[in-house]
Amino acid sequence: MEVLLRLGRAVDAFNHWTWPVPTLAIVLAVVVTAFIPPLRLAAIRAVDGLSRWTGLIATWLVLLAALVSAFNAAFRYSIGAILYIDTQLRVFGGGLGFLFDLYRNNSNSLRDVQLIMFAGMVMLGASWTLKMNEHVRVDLIYGSVGYRKRTWIDLIGGILFLVPMCVTMIYFSWGWFLESWTGDEMSSNAGGLPRWPFKIFLPLGFALLLLQGLSEIFKCIAALTSNFQREHAYEKPVQ
Amino acid sequence: MIAFLTHNMAPLMFAGLVVFMLFGYPAAFSLAAVGLLFGFIGIELGLIHPDFLGNIIFQLESVLGNDLLLAIPFFTLMGAILERCGLAEDLLEGFGQLFGGVRGGLSYAVILVGAVLGAITGTVAASVIAMGLISLPIMMKYGYSVRHATGVIAASGTITQLIPPSLVLVVLADQLGKPVGQMYLGAMGPSVVQVLLFMAWVLILSIIRPQDVPALPPEARTLKGWALVNRCIRGMVPSLALIFIVLGTIFLGLATATEAGAMGVVGAYFLAWINRKLTWNLSWQGMQTTMRITAMVVFILLGARVFSLVFQGVGGKEWIESFLVALPGGQVGFLVFVNLFVFVLAFFLDFFEIAFIIVPLLAPAAEALGINLIWFGVLLGANMQTSFMHPPFGFALFYLRGIAPPSVRSSDIYRGAIPWVILQLILVGILIAFPEIVNVFLDKDLVVDPNIQITVPDNGTDLTAPPVIDLSQPPAVNP
Repeated sequence: MEVLLRLGRAVDAFNHWTWPVPTLAIVLAVVVTAFIPPLRLAAIRAVDGLSRWTGLIATWLVLLAALVSAFNAAFRYSIGAILYIDTQLRVFGGGLGFLFDLYRNNSNSLRDVQLIMFAGMVMLGASWTLKMNEHVRVDLIYGSVGYRKRTWIDLIGGILFLVPMCVTMIYFSWGWFLESWTGDEMSSNAGGLPRWPFKIFLPLGFALLLLQGLSEIFKCIAALTSNFQREHAYEKPVQ
Repeated sequence: MIAFLTHNMAPLMFAGLVVFMLFGYPAAFSLAAVGLLFGFIGIELGLIHPDFLGNIIFQLESVLGNDLLLAIPFFTLMGAILERCGLAEDLLEGFGQLFGGVRGGLSYAVILVGAVLGAITGTVAASVIAMGLISLPIMMKYGYSVRHATGVIAASGTITQLIPPSLVLVVLADQLGKPVGQMYLGAMGPSVVQVLLFMAWVLILSIIRPQDVPALPPEARTLKGWALVNRCIRGMVPSLALIFIVLGTIFLGLATATEAGAMGVVGAYFLAWINRKLTWNLSWQGMQTTMRITAMVVFILLGARVFSLVFQGVGGKEWIESFLVALPGGQVGFLVFVNLFVFVLAFFLDFFEIAFIIVPLLAPAAEALGINLIWFGVLLGANMQTSFMHPPFGFALFYLRGIAPPSVRSSDIYRGAIPWVILQLILVGILIAFPEIVNVFLDKDLVVDPNIQITVPDNGTDLTAPPVIDLSQPPAVNP
C-alpha cells in the first residue's frame, strides 16, 4: 500500500513537470556523455581544468590565511607599543591613532575572513585532491589488488558513495546558503562580515567535488573500455 | 526482519562502516555514504525523524567554522618550510660534533634534535625528512648499524607527535572537547619521559652492542672549542626563538594555538630567508602539499561527522558506551582494552581516521568512568605514535624510505623500528601506571568548600512575600 502511494506521488510529481524531469534529463546527459569517447574526453578535460583553477585558489588561501592570522596576533600586541612610541617620541607626528581605530573596528572581520579562507581551502581544494588521488583510503584490499580491480573499486565507489553523497549535501546546503544570502545574515561577531561568503563554499565545494567525481568515473569507464591510462596512482598521502 | 533491523541498528551500522571502509574507496566519502545510507534506512524504519538529517549541515558548518582546525594547515605549512630551511642541518651538525666522541653519540644527537624540532613544529614529516637527509648518510659512513640508524631517526621524528605543539594533540583536544593549552601542558611530562627512555635505550645498546653505535673517530670531529660552541648557538638560537613564538605564546596565553601556528609559519619563512634557502619553489611546494593535506583531513572529519550524527541518532552512542563501561576491571580494564584496541586499529586506519571516528565513541565512556579526559588524550596521543612506526601506515618509515639511499633495504627500516615501538608501548604503560606524569602540569581542579554559606543582608523586606507588581493584570500598553 505504502509503495503504491509513493509511486502515485512520484507520478504526480511527473505530471507537474517539477524536479524529476530536469533531473532525469541531467542524468541522461551524463550517462550519454560517459559512453561517447570524444564527449567523455572533453568533459574530463573541462572538469580537470576547472578543478585545477580552484585548487590554485585554495593553495593561495593557505598562505593568505596564515599571513592574516599571524598579522592579527602580532598586531594585537604591537599596536600598544607602536602608539606609545608614536605619542612619546613623535616619530610619525602622533598621527597613528587611526591605525588603532582601524584595527579595533575590523579585528572581528579578520577573524571571520580566516574562517572563510579555511572553508575555501578545504572546499575548493577537495576536488583537486580527488583528482590527484590523495584522499586517504583504508588500503587493506585496495593496496593488494591489481590496476584493473582498483579501477573497478573507484568506479563503484564513485557511483555508489561519492555521487549520492555530493547530491545529498548540495540538497541540504543550497537552501541553507540561500537563506543566509537573501536574509543578509551577518556574522555573530560584532563588526564581522556577512555570512554568505562562508556558507557558499559548502554547496559550491560539493558541486565541484561532484563534477570531479563524475570526471573520475568517466576516467574509470574509459580505462575499462579502452586503453586510457589513469595518471595518478594511489600513494599514501604525506602528513 | 524489520524488527531485527530496528533493534540492532547501531551494531549493523558499525558493521556497515567496517564493510564500506574495507572496500577501499577514500575514507572521507565512504564515511559520509555510510552515514547517509543508514540515515535514510533509519528514517524508513521510523528510528529517526526525517528532519534529523537536516542537522548534517550544522555539523559541517561547525567543522569548517572551527578556529582550532585552522591550526592544521598552519602547522603543516610551517613544517613543510622548516623541513628544508637549514635549521636541522645546523642543529645536527652542532650536536653531532658535541656528542660524537662517545659511543652512540650521533644517536643522542638525533634524539635531542628530534625533540627540539618537535618543540618547534607539529608534523612528523618535517622532522623525519630533515634528519634523515642529514644524519642517515653520516651515521652510515661512520659504521652505525643501518637498522639502528633508521630506527632512531624515525622514532625521534615521531616524538613530534607528543611534544607540544603537536598537531595530534590539537586534533585530540578538539575531539575530546578540552582546551589545547591544557593538552599541551599535560604532554610535557610524557615527552621528557620519552626522550629519556630513548636515550636510555641508546645507552643500553652502547654497552651490549657497541659495534652498532661506534664513537666518531677524532678526525671526523673537525669542530673544536669556539667553532663548536658557535655552531651549536647558530642552531639553538633560532630554535629557541621559534619555540617561544609558537609554544611560548600559547603557554603565556598571548595567542591561540591557531595564531601561534600562523606566527610559526612567518617565523619559518623568515628563518629560511636568513639561511638563503627561501625560494618560490620551496614555498609553492609547501603550500600545495598543505592544501591537499588540509582538504584530505578536513574531509575525513566532515565524513566522520555525518557518520556519527546518524550513529547517535540510531542509538549507537548508548550501545558503545554500555559495551565499554561494562568491561571488567573498571578504569584500568577500560584503559588497557582501549589502548590495545587503538594499537591494533592503527594497523588499519591512519591517525586522523582513528581520531575522528573512534575517539568520539570512546570519550563518553571514559568520562562515565571518571577518567580525566586530558590524561586520556595524552595517553592516546602517545599510543598513536606507534602507528607512525609500523606498516602499513608507518608514515615515518615511509618518509625515511623515500629519502634513504637505495642501499638501505626496506626490511631493515621495518625491523629497525621494532625496539622503538616497544619503547613507545612502555611509555604508554608508564603513563597508565603513573598518571601524575601528566597531571602534575595541569591546572588544579578548583576545590569547592561545601560549607560556604551566603547570607542575604536583612533589610526588612520579606523575601517570601509575592512581588509588589500585580501580575494578575495585563500590563498597560500605550495605544
